[in-house]
Amino acid sequence: MLAIGIYGLLTNRQLLKVFISVELIAIAATLNFVMLASSMGVGLGQAFLILAFSTDTAVSGIILALLVIVSKKYGTSDISKILQAIENKDETEVEA
Amino acid sequence: MGLIISAVLALFLEDVIYSVAALAGTFFFTALIYIQNGAFFAAIFQFAVGIGTLAVLFLSGEMLGDKPAKKASPKRTGALIGVGAILSMPAIFLSVSGSTGTTSNLDFGDALWNIRGLDVVLQALVILTVALGIVIVLHEKKKKDGQ
Repeated sequence: MLAIGIYGLLTNRQLLKVFISVELIAIAATLNFVMLASSMGVGLGQAFLILAFSTDTAVSGIILALLVIVSKKYGTSDISKILQAIENKDETEVEA
Repeated sequence: MGLIISAVLALFLEDVIYSVAALAGTFFFTALIYIQNGAFFAAIFQFAVGIGTLAVLFLSGEMLGDKPAKKASPKRTGALIGVGAILSMPAIFLSVSGSTGTTSNLDFGDALWNIRGLDVVLQALVILTVALGIVIVLHEKKKKDGQ
């Protein structure tokens, strides 16, 4: 799951897909907690899992807020188009 | 196997809405794995967090997602499912087996409230701060757009 998430993070060009990749990495981390706790037979893993969930939720909120701002500003959620728009803006400023 | 296949589909399907639907499958299979391992509280939390995340993702996917130029072919979807099945093979054959014998009487409630009581309160503070930060960022953005 971690490998799939990292691969998706590196290869996808859409911001929402990047967000989904981050979610998959978070699932991999939480799954790790539960499997380890289950194999050791202690409940502490589940308790720490709540910390992982809350961190995941906070990260998701921040990513979504940034995603909305960037998408509204540039009118697209494609990273390559956003980069192109930034480059065009820089060139216009240099010419001015 | 279902977990890996739905994760692969979530990443590589063209349409964002279908990706979010596949992510719902990923959350569901994760919760099933938690239940299989006796972590019922974790499964409930996973369902709660997953439903919230999916609702937000469906909305933002519909609002912000660019529509793909052409529909995904069933051939491509089948290929993605095959890739997911192949990737899940090591997880099936090299799975970690059962309890290692170091069992303890510490259950979830004890672990949460007796060992991590202060930590949970601090967590709530962090989440509150993050929520306030997001509200302030969006408010500033709205104010800037209004000018």
